Amino acid sequence: MSKLLEIALGLVTGIGGFLEAGSLATSAQAGAAFGFQLVWALALGTICIAFLVEMAGRLSAVSKHTLPDAMRERFGVRFFVVVLVAVVLVSFLVLASEIGGVALALQLATGIRFQWWAPIVAVAVWLLLWAHNFSLVEKGASLLGLVTLVFAVAAVKLHTPVHEIVANLLPSVPHQEGAKYWFMAVSIIGASVSPYLFYFYSAGAVEDHWDEDYLGVNRAIAGLGMSFGGGLAIAVLACAAMVYHPRGIEIQHYEQIPLILAEPLGRWGFILFVASLGIGCFGAALEIALQIAYLVAQGFGWNWGENVKPREAARFSLTYTVMIFLAGLVILTGIDPLKLTIFSMAITALSLPITVVPLLILMNDPQYVGENGNHWIANAAVLFISIVACIVAIVAIPLQLMGGS
Amino acid sequence: MELGLEVLDQQVSDRGGELMGKVDGILLELRPGKPPRVAHLVIGGGTAARRVHPGLADWLVRWRRRWGPKDDQPLEVPWSKVLKIGIDVQVDLDARRTTAWAWESWVLQHIIGRIPGA
Amino acid sequence: MGPSEIRFEDLIGKTVRNQYGRAIGRIEEARVEPEGEDCLVTEFLIGPLELWPRILAFIGEVPTLRAVGLGHQRRLRPFPWHWIDVSDPKRPRLVETVKAEKAEGAE
Repeated sequence: MSKLLEIALGLVTGIGGFLEAGSLATSAQAGAAFGFQLVWALALGTICIAFLVEMAGRLSAVSKHTLPDAMRERFGVRFFVVVLVAVVLVSFLVLASEIGGVALALQLATGIRFQWWAPIVAVAVWLLLWAHNFSLVEKGASLLGLVTLVFAVAAVKLHTPVHEIVANLLPSVPHQEGAKYWFMAVSIIGASVSPYLFYFYSAGAVEDHWDEDYLGVNRAIAGLGMSFGGGLAIAVLACAAMVYHPRGIEIQHYEQIPLILAEPLGRWGFILFVASLGIGCFGAALEIALQIAYLVAQGFGWNWGENVKPREAARFSLTYTVMIFLAGLVILTGIDPLKLTIFSMAITALSLPITVVPLLILMNDPQYVGENGNHWIANAAVLFISIVACIVAIVAIPLQLMGGS
Repeated sequence: MELGLEVLDQQVSDRGGELMGKVDGILLELRPGKPPRVAHLVIGGGTAARRVHPGLADWLVRWRRRWGPKDDQPLEVPWSKVLKIGIDVQVDLDARRTTAWAWESWVLQHIIGRIPGA
Repeated sequence: MGPSEIRFEDLIGKTVRNQYGRAIGRIEEARVEPEGEDCLVTEFLIGPLELWPRILAFIGEVPTLRAVGLGHQRRLRPFPWHWIDVSDPKRPRLVETVKAEKAEGAE
């Protein structure tokens, strides 16, 4: 496949696959509560994930190892198990949030409560993975995911003041509600820098047999894909900021979010919102379930693959089956998907150092990346964002829990 | 070559390229007056669990005896069977005929194989 | 597992002590060389004992952090195989005390 086509496909996946439960919920809430003030958090998160995805791709292309594989080899099984537990826990919560997101989309569309949709969504996700042709599914989901471009259209239709966005690219301190502000900032970063994104990307690079020749393609896909995706998230924030913030209303329930599209675009806005939520979350659910199975299988040396028949990778298939089943159960309990989503995003931010530092060390180890090691800027940027996000999360999460939300 | 860095925890593949686990342990043969010799690479059977925490390993082994395949012993691959060490460790064996495959077979037989479409 | 076999992974991280019981360092690695059909251990790499230097060495794996002064390069001392008795992997013992101390002094 020509490199240009690969880049195009990668871009479509990056854009179409960027918005999911986490980014939708956190961006919308932030826009409603603080207007354009938290744009910087989205920018920071997007820069961080662009760096991380590029690194994961580079690691896999040069070392021919996936990230979990390389981590166990380099750090040993003890360290690996710690990272494994952390990432699986965090990813599981996000998986449940995504299934909840699809269920909510179906509730918005049909009026039937989301809990009852949970088993059906879980089975649908599982079936598509069981059909062991994920490459096809991924392309389909990404193309369909382009429906999320509607947020950009809506933001324009709402006459979003671009200078406000630009002005808020730099961090600012809130005038009030400090705990909530920082909690939201942290959740936004957690939504952008989800580990599943770069773990999944690294597996893809190995399955597609990338090598040093693909480093340019990798940089293009990571940089452009994540940037455009981040731009879409900013569009979501902008819509919420234009629709809710002037009214002083905050977003507490998922049912409020569609209004940010319905107001500028009418009935079609509502429909396209439901489609965006459903497709975005469904695509993410597929990826996360696969990624958890990859992490376990690659860490323990089992057979794995996105297009491999279940009977050829029994333990791998069992892993994603169990994960999807349990995640479906969580939503079936009726837990508020919005709260679950926001919470898992904050937890993701909290766990960033554990998930990110091993990757950074690998990216500076000549045994894995040869002469293609990290530039100090990349190291510094990722380290800084991860550590700061973690520290802020440590402070903000308890404060938010105490404040109640 | 450094054992911990380049051999331990590496992916193992069989002569056909099939993935068969990780090098969970290495057995050194001690000989009086002579340097220790790398005798076996050990795969599976709770060897990795032992390194994480010995108590965990015991618990896991007991649990596995009750619920899993019967031939769940760690696979000891003699050094002479190692074909090459590069991106992974390739050994001159057929993965499906070794105990490293015990769990994969068991899961296939009892769970995955029972679901239609596998 | 045979009677004269030990587990390499049991050795890693264990403190090496000399005949007086003094801790010398921790076994971090073993270097091996092929010899004919076999693969033989040539050296054991010994690392620092205390927790803090080990943490610094871990952090130091990211050059950016080293550049700003946090963490340092990982330094392991090679000990020839016959200097260390590993028959009890949980308690490796230094055999050649005099030469080892010379090596430490030259550090």
